[in-house]
Amino acid sequence: MERIIAVDISGRHRHNSRYLMVCAAVSLSVSGGHVKQIHGVNIKPFVSDNPPEVVDVVKMIERTVEGMEGITIVAEEGDLFNQPEWLSNSMFTASFKYPESLSERMGIEIAHHISLSSRNLLLDPQSWEPIKENL
Amino acid sequence: MKDVILVQRRIPRCSESENQRKLAELRELARAGNYNVVQEVIQTRYPDRQYQIGKGKAEEVAELALSQKPAKIIFYNPLSVTQVYNLSEMCKCEVIDKFQLILEIFASRATTRRSRMQVELARLEYELPRARKIVSLLKMEERPGFMGLGGYEDSYEQDVKKRISRIKKELSTGQRDSENLRGYRHSKGFSLLSLAGYTNAGKSTLFRTLVDENVEVENMLFTTLSPTTRYLNINGRWTLLTDTVGFIEDLPHFLVDAFRSTLEDVFRADIILLVVDISEPVDVIRKKLAVSHGIFWEQLEKATIITAINKADRLSHEELSSRLKSIAYLAPNPVVVSATTGEGLDELKDIIYAHLPEWKRFTLELPMSGETMSAVSWLFEEGIVHSVNYGNTVVMDVEARNEVYHKAKSLEKRLSFR
Repeated sequence: MERIIAVDISGRHRHNSRYLMVCAAVSLSVSGGHVKQIHGVNIKPFVSDNPPEVVDVVKMIERTVEGMEGITIVAEEGDLFNQPEWLSNSMFTASFKYPESLSERMGIEIAHHISLSSRNLLLDPQSWEPIKENL
Repeated sequence: MKDVILVQRRIPRCSESENQRKLAELRELARAGNYNVVQEVIQTRYPDRQYQIGKGKAEEVAELALSQKPAKIIFYNPLSVTQVYNLSEMCKCEVIDKFQLILEIFASRATTRRSRMQVELARLEYELPRARKIVSLLKMEERPGFMGLGGYEDSYEQDVKKRISRIKKELSTGQRDSENLRGYRHSKGFSLLSLAGYTNAGKSTLFRTLVDENVEVENMLFTTLSPTTRYLNINGRWTLLTDTVGFIEDLPHFLVDAFRSTLEDVFRADIILLVVDISEPVDVIRKKLAVSHGIFWEQLEKATIITAINKADRLSHEELSSRLKSIAYLAPNPVVVSATTGEGLDELKDIIYAHLPEWKRFTLELPMSGETMSAVSWLFEEGIVHSVNYGNTVVMDVEARNEVYHKAKSLEKRLSFR
């Protein structure tokens, strides 16, 4: 069983002249074909006036995974601008790789749904629904 | 065998072993295409718009082509139409890339009408984005007359599009038939097993050993193009095992689309036997497994993956266990086998049996009558009959799928009330 941190960033496009991004990191234990256990999730929002560059992506990921348990950070190739794996790996202080197995891809999918829904939530503060009318 | 020159442009700072592996794969593909490699040319640089490799290197290739007189020059890197035109003008020789080579191999191996149509579709889909450019390049030397009087870019592109839609229509009819066939097989209680994995991993050899039959097996890429399905008895349960076309790195989308119906046999199976050649270097195995996982991730519906670690007889025990450890994270449900010696096949069957859709084991007591006798023979066909005791009543110990269980139980109720 392998311990990984699957990461995904949502919102790398301009929104009201700014870049509002949410990075989600999920710490998991995985086997070849299955996600065995989810140990924890970290979510961190980031804002920028300029489009993020590779170094910004690395910084966002490292800030989000701080304090999480996991041996290797796994993120989609596209998140790192399709750089070769060795180059991305050399930019991180922790060990880093692109997904290989089905379970690693599943981990990233979980992280993707978390980051996307968190971003949607943050962008829509009006969505807080009162449970009772008098609240 | 025709002579060819292989050319590979390597990306700067890319790992040497990966480059070697890619070149070896191209060499194998050339062999599968019945070509004899006379020379290999390598250059490390970023791509050139005109020639893919640098102009100087292209001239070097042209000189080689002049002296060696090869039938073709095959590039590992995908070539644009302009690059093909410029290179063939310079080298005075046919220039193709890896994908065209794969198409050639597929075309030469296609035996059924269906696979021939699939190859034609792949070829047309490859050609479509290039159609306009091809015509404009050919027009540079030819005066009106290409593709008939006044038939130029548009008509040729339209023609390609029309042929694509016609073939797709015909293929989709066939696809419906095979979907129906799969549904029918499922309803008859057969579990579907598929062999998948990188090309030349030994899928056909394993298939032949498992079903004990002579299927064409060769140490060559893409020996199997059309899927072959056979009965396979796994500890008393009948399953259908399908041998399919092998995966390849960077499998282009037009090929995946064209061979979708072939590959669907893999994706719709209950159990996938992912065959891995363990005798290869570990990083190569890892890469190939990652490619297979990538293809499964995009297409898989719901199936259990069992990794058949093949060609284990070629390694020592120590080497085998260290390799197994390093690929464990990419190998779900691993079983070590050797398709040639037959080692590990019983374990493989046991693990397949454990993952087959669950059957119910039940006892049935039926009064002695003609109807009971036909029920007994029906149960022998539909399930596994562990024991039958004939006395005043017929008592059977049966294992069968849920529908059969319910039918049998209602029959028991009906007959015992008479």
